[in-house]
Amino acid sequence: MNKTQQQKVIISPIGKRDDELIELIGADIESVFGHKTETIPLLDSADFAFDPVRKQYHSTPILEKLAALAPSQAMKVLGMAEDDLFIPILTHVYGEAQLGGRACMVSTYRLKEGLSLSASGDAYQRRVVKEAIHELGHTFNLRHCRDSACIMHYCHTVEDVDRKTGQLCRYCKVLLEDELNIFSKS
Amino acid sequence: MDSTKILIVDDELIMRESLAGWLERDGHEVKKAASGEDALEMLKTVKFDILLVDMKMEGMSGLEVLKRVKESDPEVAVVIITAYGSISTAIDAMKVGAYDYLLKPFDPSELGMLIEKILHFQAQARENLFLKEQYKDRTRYENMIAQAGPMQEVFDLITDVAPTGSTVLITGETGTGKGLAAKAIHTASPRAEGPFVVVNCGAFPEHLLESELFGYQKGAFTDAKTNKKGRLELAHGGTLFLDEIGEISMRMQIDLLRVLEDRIFYRVGGTQPIEADFRVIAATNKNLDEAIRERTFREDLYYRLNVISFTMPPLRDRKDDIPLLAEHFLLRFSQETNRHIDQISREAMDEMMLYEWPGNVRELENAIERAVVVGKTRKIIPQDLPIFHPEHLDATPDNSLMEIEKAHISRILDDNQWNISKASQVLGIDRSTLYSKIKRYGIQRPSGPSGA
Repeated sequence: MNKTQQQKVIISPIGKRDDELIELIGADIESVFGHKTETIPLLDSADFAFDPVRKQYHSTPILEKLAALAPSQAMKVLGMAEDDLFIPILTHVYGEAQLGGRACMVSTYRLKEGLSLSASGDAYQRRVVKEAIHELGHTFNLRHCRDSACIMHYCHTVEDVDRKTGQLCRYCKVLLEDELNIFSKS
Repeated sequence: MDSTKILIVDDELIMRESLAGWLERDGHEVKKAASGEDALEMLKTVKFDILLVDMKMEGMSGLEVLKRVKESDPEVAVVIITAYGSISTAIDAMKVGAYDYLLKPFDPSELGMLIEKILHFQAQARENLFLKEQYKDRTRYENMIAQAGPMQEVFDLITDVAPTGSTVLITGETGTGKGLAAKAIHTASPRAEGPFVVVNCGAFPEHLLESELFGYQKGAFTDAKTNKKGRLELAHGGTLFLDEIGEISMRMQIDLLRVLEDRIFYRVGGTQPIEADFRVIAATNKNLDEAIRERTFREDLYYRLNVISFTMPPLRDRKDDIPLLAEHFLLRFSQETNRHIDQISREAMDEMMLYEWPGNVRELENAIERAVVVGKTRKIIPQDLPIFHPEHLDATPDNSLMEIEKAHISRILDDNQWNISKASQVLGIDRSTLYSKIKRYGIQRPSGPSGA
């Protein structure tokens, strides 16, 4: 296995695949984390994680499956779904990540809220890209950030997502550099 | 302040795990207990800021956990988690001291805002306590009373480092006088005419510490009605004493490192660089090497602070100073209380010389104060001292000082029904020191009636 392969982030669409969005996310991953991406669909659907009572998908087992299915040489894996995600204690989540781990995922389901049909797809795409980078940040051990402009800021609403930039704040940049240094040494 | 310590008490694994995962991503340090009984066991050795307790559990109920926790540690914030339809029990919980309740499943924003509110409240309480302590310390130089030995080495070091202007890191246990040593360095330095500005880094949550240190510009946030100078600016021409440096968050460590490297900083919301000339002295009772290994303290900041460092010796390592200190406190408290007690019996002095003094000089001070108040004759006898227990007289010569300390701490805990706050006050040590001693000695709480 060569070093380039080792350092790739896998983007894994679950169900319907949106190549334009995947390309945008891939470009941002490379610019923020400095790692190239490769698209590999690892799951056909997330039905195994469907909760009939809540009529939502439990994100934690999906992450476990993604981590197990990702090629061993992959650095991280980012799942992309259209389903409404939850974790048992919360009403919903936009995405979930294994803190300092291998897998994370983002859902587009609630990120369409408040956008009219006539609105440009740009606003929606920006939201998804931001939340995808946010979740991937967790796998690099970044926690939620107080700075409302930082991409690691926890967003309660889609308006919060719209307000934050697509960049890490100066603190999170330093913390990410630390993490990447540790990773490259190991 | 460092990350918040949260304990989740829930008998449902899936709930514990999902809540813990979310809170960890939010930057908190999380532990989990599968039952009320387990939670109470964990609370004997670990200090938490917030408890999130499920109301309905097998075995001990959430309400019972709340009651037991509040008995032993009234300061911890307990949030009750309950299902729809159980609001009346949640209200009962509020009556017995729960901070708030959450109906599950809850909206993520509710949880985040509630935690913010609790931390703000706890920070204010800590700051008040710190200000009170600081006020008392203005007239207290007793920690620096010494005749020879290890403290003489500290005095020599202070004399050597004071004129240099170098950054100093002072380590040592609670109550050993790190703040007084910092003040002594300042007083003996060419900056003595300048201000000596103290920041207790452990007393503030991150965002408050940021505006305390750096100040803010009008309009930087909702409450910023005017410009405010931070403590870095106030320390211009003097010394900035960063107490409990081991408690600061990762973000503040990044900022502090930048300030120490460049001596330039910005007020919160400000764009104009501010230059300030100050000397930095930092202090901690934490093992920073360990914190670096655990990645809670930055190595680059550590090297920047650790230009010159020394450790304040614990009282047990300078027992020769005990008679001098004890006489000093006796004089002070007999004058303050107008009681004619002017001698310490040989037996009482023997007790003091044998004792380990986990709370250091502060504990000795409390012991003499108590002895002056309860003493019946002009001479302090062992029975007047809170450290004295008749069983010590029976102690075999094989009993180590550590065993005696363990027995003493156990007894004080029992005497105070395991109320950690009260017991730590009697012992003259802070609560975290008491928790670590309970853990180190493996002291077990006697199992009382369930009360369920």
